[in-house]
Amino acid sequence: MDSITIPATLESLARISDFIIDATVRVGLDDHAAWQVQLAVDEAATNIIQHGYGPGQVGDIELSWRVDGVQFAITLRDRGRRFSPADVPAPNISSPLEERQPGGLGIYLMGRLMDSVRFEYDQQRGNTLTMTKRIGPAAGPARIFELHGRLDAVSTAAALTQVRAAVSSGTRNILLDLSDVTFMSSSGLRALLLVRKDLIANGGEFRLCELQPQVYEVFAITGFTQVFSIHQTRDDAMAAFG
Amino acid sequence: MEITHKRLNRVDLLKLVGRLDALHAPQLRTEIDRLFEQGRYRLVLDLAELEYVASPGLRVLIEARKRAREWKLTDIEGGDVRIANLPPRIKEVFDLTGFTSLFEIFADTTDAVGSY
Repeated sequence: MDSITIPATLESLARISDFIIDATVRVGLDDHAAWQVQLAVDEAATNIIQHGYGPGQVGDIELSWRVDGVQFAITLRDRGRRFSPADVPAPNISSPLEERQPGGLGIYLMGRLMDSVRFEYDQQRGNTLTMTKRIGPAAGPARIFELHGRLDAVSTAAALTQVRAAVSSGTRNILLDLSDVTFMSSSGLRALLLVRKDLIANGGEFRLCELQPQVYEVFAITGFTQVFSIHQTRDDAMAAFG
Repeated sequence: MEITHKRLNRVDLLKLVGRLDALHAPQLRTEIDRLFEQGRYRLVLDLAELEYVASPGLRVLIEARKRAREWKLTDIEGGDVRIANLPPRIKEVFDLTGFTSLFEIFADTTDAVGSY
């Protein structure tokens, strides 16, 4: 558990993000979940700053986190105007541009990014927002890791450090999201093969998704499309874990 | 956030680098307003190096596209705000909020500029 109290100004958003990133690393959330939490908290803090406290009104946000079993829980407190989520209409995300209302996306995103979002109000304590995210493998059928940039002989070992750590700590199912990988060398491929071998030995599954065309070609030329389970989208891959 | 502007013949290209959050969204709004005031309504936003987008940034994008499309050069040609290069995290936010179908999105700036 840890907490900070900071002025409710837009300039504080970067510090809030740093605080949350530090927390997600300490509790062991994977990259993707950490980013989801960061965005949800950023949206929540922005709401307080822009709507909770009126113009010229100076207030604070008290931000804290704790781990409750497998849940990572974040709480934001403020003494601004009472917030009632029911007053914010949900955006219609399928309406065409002309009818699309530009607002309401912040609360909507919080709900999509977190496992639970709860607003409470108390005369003495003001607004309390609590959001939770599940930690670790229980978050889905597999842990997701994202790799970035060029995967050649040198960079692959570094890129796979977290993945290897997960394998040795007993994670069974792993999905690698390669959407941001622009190049893969044969040593990169070999390193992936080794991870796959270890996982399968543990009775787990190893899947890849969102390969860029030039990266897919490397797999195709070497015949490794037959070896690896490759999926177009993250959702397809997650649905395939048995 | 850093915004670099490049004026092409018919199109203005804005490259956004860094974080498009509530603190920086007004900066993008100001830059787009400045171009609209000059009668420049054909924009391409290059998001290749955008690290982060939150809802105040999305709001600026919707409002900008609505305004750009009100401008007509001929019956078939007019203003627009088109997107080039969507990094995975930005694409995920676009997918969650329905923005993927709200904007014309291109694989690179050449395609996006050429689409006008």
